[in-house]
Amino acid sequence: MRWDDLVRVSVRQVFRHRRRYWGVILAIALGVAGFTTVITIGRDVKRNFNQDLELIGSANLIRLYWDTLPDQAPAWFQPETVAALRRTAHVTQVSEYTLRPAVVAGGGRRLEVTVWAVDHHFWHLRHFQPAQGILFEADSVLKRSQHCVLGAGLARKLFGDRNPVGQKVEIDADLYQVVGVVRLDDYSISQSLFLPLTTAQDRLRGETRPDRLLVRCATWDEVEAVADAIPRVVAAHQSISGLNVWVVWDALRRVQRVAWWIEFFIYLASGMTLLLGGLGIWNVMTAAVQSRTREIGLKKAMGAEDGDILAQFLTEALVLSVGAALLGLAAGRGLVALAGLWLGQRPQEELFLGCLGLSLAVAFAMGLGAGLYPSLKASRMEVVAATRYE
Amino acid sequence: MSSPQPRYNPDGSLIQARQLTMTYPNGAGDIQVLRGVSVSLHPGEMLAIMGPSGSGKSTLLYILGLLLKPTGGSYWLAGEDVLALDRRAQALCRRERLGFVFQTCDLLENSTVYENLEFPLIYAGVSPRERRERILMALEQVNLGHRLRHAANRLSGGERQRVAVARALVNRPQVILADEPTGQLDHRQGHLVMDHFEAVAERGTGIIVVTHDPEIAARCHRIYPLRDGRLEMAAPRREGRVADG
Repeated sequence: MRWDDLVRVSVRQVFRHRRRYWGVILAIALGVAGFTTVITIGRDVKRNFNQDLELIGSANLIRLYWDTLPDQAPAWFQPETVAALRRTAHVTQVSEYTLRPAVVAGGGRRLEVTVWAVDHHFWHLRHFQPAQGILFEADSVLKRSQHCVLGAGLARKLFGDRNPVGQKVEIDADLYQVVGVVRLDDYSISQSLFLPLTTAQDRLRGETRPDRLLVRCATWDEVEAVADAIPRVVAAHQSISGLNVWVVWDALRRVQRVAWWIEFFIYLASGMTLLLGGLGIWNVMTAAVQSRTREIGLKKAMGAEDGDILAQFLTEALVLSVGAALLGLAAGRGLVALAGLWLGQRPQEELFLGCLGLSLAVAFAMGLGAGLYPSLKASRMEVVAATRYE
Repeated sequence: MSSPQPRYNPDGSLIQARQLTMTYPNGAGDIQVLRGVSVSLHPGEMLAIMGPSGSGKSTLLYILGLLLKPTGGSYWLAGEDVLALDRRAQALCRRERLGFVFQTCDLLENSTVYENLEFPLIYAGVSPRERRERILMALEQVNLGHRLRHAANRLSGGERQRVAVARALVNRPQVILADEPTGQLDHRQGHLVMDHFEAVAERGTGIIVVTHDPEIAARCHRIYPLRDGRLEMAAPRREGRVADG
């Protein structure tokens, strides 16, 4: 029997008996659609979830800082170290900053505050949002602008109910324009002032090179690997004596455990649906062989070999499983597109293509596995018994 | 596949069956359905096998059609010892040399007339283009060219039987085996089917018809009465155009 005839006849047979098969088709299609959606957008969801987690626990942030030992000179992160860390696998952002005390004057008051000399990545890493004005960006850092951002508590202390944006403050005899106020719940940070790191290096007295880093990982799954890699990366460029790599391990473990269970149940649900689909194929193909016994006998009388009958029923099982998988992939594609719109991100095409290949392979194996026994049974029928079957 | 068998048809016969026996095992004692049946068929010959129900007519036809293996005896089809062939070679033999018409006008119910006739050609590996030509020709022979795309389950009894005949013809077999081909048809339809068989036989095909109907049997060249598993002497009933052996 030619391949094109085999496929054509099998597709026609499945289509004509579609009412018998719709339950199985639905089960497989749902399983594949769920699987495809979870795999394709799961990472994006996780990434979004990670960003949200930042607000409550910084589970995917790693903090780097140096111990200040009495017999050691202060240490800082050299530019090549920072560049190397930015290139490290699974690291999405690195922010360099330093803290130092200063006296700030403005609005008729003088206060001792902590100055945070930060780069423009800092706001994104900490998810700080402006309450008023703006938070300075790359341009201010690059141009070494004399701009500053006030913590909300400090702004209230200096300017009361007046709008601080556009006002001037004085630090170490230099004037800085307030461009924004940052909304903060943490009291001590709320009393702080933020300057562009480059500006601070030019104008503040004392050591202002970055001695702290914030490293964000793509997801919490990579935090451990990145934390392990960091000392090696830093050591390639400078001494790591006194280096601290700090991770909120408790929060990370809890998040990982919850996420693992969620993923496990989603995969379990998809797997069970596919298993049910496989059992369904077995069941409907066994029933089909029974109800089409006379047809089998007739075809053998027409000259069909055992192999022709085996191939026909097996191909029907494959048409059923692979056809249902294709429907599931189409539905999954639609769900992924919708989820992409919802998350505001483009689904990763390579992941979808991977799912497509895997789903088709699983569907093929399922059709083959579940259809083999009924097909063998059909092929081994004796012609006379089959043609006389009532 | 089996190794080539010695050929045996010294008289040019299509079928040479000798001392066929068929015994079905039964708890209380074996049932002997055929007790040494010998039969021959020549090209262009029409042969009728008659007998009461349970006399073994259909069993004999199934053995001759390689659908059933006898418990004893020998059978040469076009000179080949077909009982020595394996299942695959027997299937090949069925598809290339034999055509069946079943008692119950068995058609593939969910398929069209065209598809019913297409299956034997698909199994024989005939190209799609040639299939169409052959199917049209076979349907024209039974005056059903206009029913090409009709669903099999919407045909009348007479039309179904003619489709079954056309399906048996479509592979251009050497032998047609028909089990009660007119059993479910009225008198006129029954004789129409026999007209088709006569036309086919005139082109050299050998035909064996199992029937209860003496009128149908009378249209064959020879009639074999089958009683208690034994064939009685055949009597030529009409002038035939049996090809010379």
